[in-house]
Amino acid sequence: MATTEKFVLNMGPQHPSTHGVLQVQVELDGENIVGAKPVMGYLHRGIEKLMESRTYQQCVPFTDRLDYVSSMNNNLGFCMAVEKLAGIEVPERAQYIRTICCELNRIASHHVFIGSLTNDLGSATGMIYAFRDREKILDLFNIICGARMTCHYIRIGGVIADAQDEFLQKTEEFINYVPEMLDEYDRLFTGNEIFQKRMQGTSIISKEDALRFGMSGPNIRASGWDYDIRKIDKYGIYGKLDFDIPVGKTGDNWDRYIIRLQEIVESAKIIRQCLDNMPEGPFMAKVPKMLKPPKGDAYHRVENTRGELGFYIVSDGTNKPYRVHIRRPSFINLQALDHMCKGMVLADAVTAFATIDPLMGEVDC
Amino acid sequence: MGSYLEIKYLEELQQQYASVEFDSEQPEPHIYVGTEDLLALMKELQENPIWAFDRMANITSVDYKEYIEMVYMLYSRRFDKWVTVKCKLDREKPVVESMTQVWPGTEFEEREIFDLMGVEFLHHPDLRRILMPEDYTAYPLRKDFVPLQPKIEGGVLKWLQPKSLS
Repeated sequence: MATTEKFVLNMGPQHPSTHGVLQVQVELDGENIVGAKPVMGYLHRGIEKLMESRTYQQCVPFTDRLDYVSSMNNNLGFCMAVEKLAGIEVPERAQYIRTICCELNRIASHHVFIGSLTNDLGSATGMIYAFRDREKILDLFNIICGARMTCHYIRIGGVIADAQDEFLQKTEEFINYVPEMLDEYDRLFTGNEIFQKRMQGTSIISKEDALRFGMSGPNIRASGWDYDIRKIDKYGIYGKLDFDIPVGKTGDNWDRYIIRLQEIVESAKIIRQCLDNMPEGPFMAKVPKMLKPPKGDAYHRVENTRGELGFYIVSDGTNKPYRVHIRRPSFINLQALDHMCKGMVLADAVTAFATIDPLMGEVDC
Repeated sequence: MGSYLEIKYLEELQQQYASVEFDSEQPEPHIYVGTEDLLALMKELQENPIWAFDRMANITSVDYKEYIEMVYMLYSRRFDKWVTVKCKLDREKPVVESMTQVWPGTEFEEREIFDLMGVEFLHHPDLRRILMPEDYTAYPLRKDFVPLQPKIEGGVLKWLQPKSLS
């Protein structure tokens, strides 16, 4: 009679499918997973502490390095929290430019998701296709602010430079290309039978569990909640725009993939509306160089590509924040990893890492 | 945008829990509660359907040099309401009940607060350091923090107390 013994397998921190330096201690019984414990901290830089010794304007570049594939959204979250604290009105044109940039960044971030997911599932070709299209968005960012990934374009009070006609024109060209792009993805991945079999019915998170783990973003929407901060809070100009929230049914890996494809369509819809209604005017409010918000605290949350990104800032009346806390969505979403991996085989753990889409820059802060 | 919980409801809470305090002159008064009533108050806010605060939007701690303050921001999806609950802790020995008993999704955030601020959580399922090395002894987010000196002794990394400059 053969007996098996449980053993622990270390995946990462130097494993190609863990998306950075995430270490997962997987407890195995044969090939079945009994538990999966994430171990993080390999990329911890102490951003919250570093911000305490810098002025508010100097804090903004740090937020680029949190979720480094969607830096525009991070800039927006921090700047809106400071604007709420200091009572700064942002000009309307700046809000439109911000929204265009954030939604472009959302599409770019979902490209990374699709690329790394297909790469993890054994199709290295998929990565090339997704990253080819992401390049187009990074080139747009290059035009508007001169940086491709760590943009530092959205500043406190508006944006640092006006959107040129070249940027707006090329953005429109990209939006026209989106249906063709998604069609290609559908032919390449979505219709692929191996791809479907690997994802359908694996790592299910039920509606109750998604809420219990405090998940947010596409991960909670795949489980069936229509929880989107853009719709709930209507921050910026999102209240004026017409867009839908894609919601999944079962909460398996397949739903989490499909939701992101649908979000690309919705983001393209938002960008088109912004391009059509773009007003003229200033792109930066009058913000003092030495910004000293009144004493008190403020919390502001935005819908990042990975979920609910919140900034809690305490001001003591000086030009430096007394304390900054960042609610990082992928850090909290990772709590579901153990639940997702239990009862699956080892090969499915890789799919679970990919669809939960953690980004270690944000997890370790 | 979601609005803040009205003052009449805060007064209702004050009648139920003796240690609840708030400044009624502010537009959005934070609830201050003693550590003894914290868990009962949170259970009431989460479980009772008249409140339905089913999301712990943000949980953090701030070092105010005299005391450490826990900040809980609750959000109710059903009524689109916010409330902020704060709790002052002794800086020498900060101990508070873990919110994982009410919202299981606060596990990692509380581990992070334990790691960086040194607040101990009672009845937490797995209270270990999460970002810093496990043998680190200082708490980085406290205001009097001085980084420890790394030193390799016999092939083992050790964290030593910094030498004073004087």
